[in-house]
Amino acid sequence: MKKLLQQALPPVDSDAAPGRDLWPAVKQRLDARSDRTQSISPASIRWELLDLALLAGLAAFAAFLPASIPVFLYYL
Amino acid sequence: MNTHPYLRAYLAGVFLPTLVLPLLLALFIVVRIVLQAPVPIERAIIFPMAVVPSLFGLWNMLYLASHERTHLPIGLHGAVLPLLMAPAGVLTATCLGVLEFSSHGTTWFQALYVPYALIAPCFLAALAGYYLVWKFIVGCLNRALGIA
Repeated sequence: MKKLLQQALPPVDSDAAPGRDLWPAVKQRLDARSDRTQSISPASIRWELLDLALLAGLAAFAAFLPASIPVFLYYL
Repeated sequence: MNTHPYLRAYLAGVFLPTLVLPLLLALFIVVRIVLQAPVPIERAIIFPMAVVPSLFGLWNMLYLASHERTHLPIGLHGAVLPLLMAPAGVLTATCLGVLEFSSHGTTWFQALYVPYALIAPCFLAALAGYYLVWKFIVGCLNRALGIA
């Protein structure tokens, strides 16, 4: 069993290093994560609330004036 | 994904009207044939079928061409489109007999009465609807096609 395991997992060279510099990729991922965190700002939340308010207003308008629905569909 | 960006912009633009059109057609056919309502479907369908998808595609191409200079958000860019489409639609509908004007309001499809007092709220609702459609649907498609 020990022999089989040693054959399956060859010894790792202690001086082995990756073939390329990994730091730029790490930095890019960290920057991307930072951008995502910044995008959830109070300003963006305000915009999302505005979008929801517009959607609710549209639904209310369509309920108030159902005759407008085919006219809107005519323009879509 | 860097080839033919304007073709991809056009396809992203026409996606929604092309998706809605068969549903609209089915709805009109049900209303006309099943419910026997006297809706002039063959005239009413011309504008949504021939003009709206092309305008959406061309407007998205214009967005792609102008975004570098204007930096206008896509929702606002889309919300400008009713300023062109509303007169074009009204003109087409009037010429085809789909829209009739009376002393107190308009009659669409010979069946739906919309008073003049509600035209302005309708237009504002159209602006809001186009803003949302362009921001969330066309914008999402632009990102998916790598042109946002």
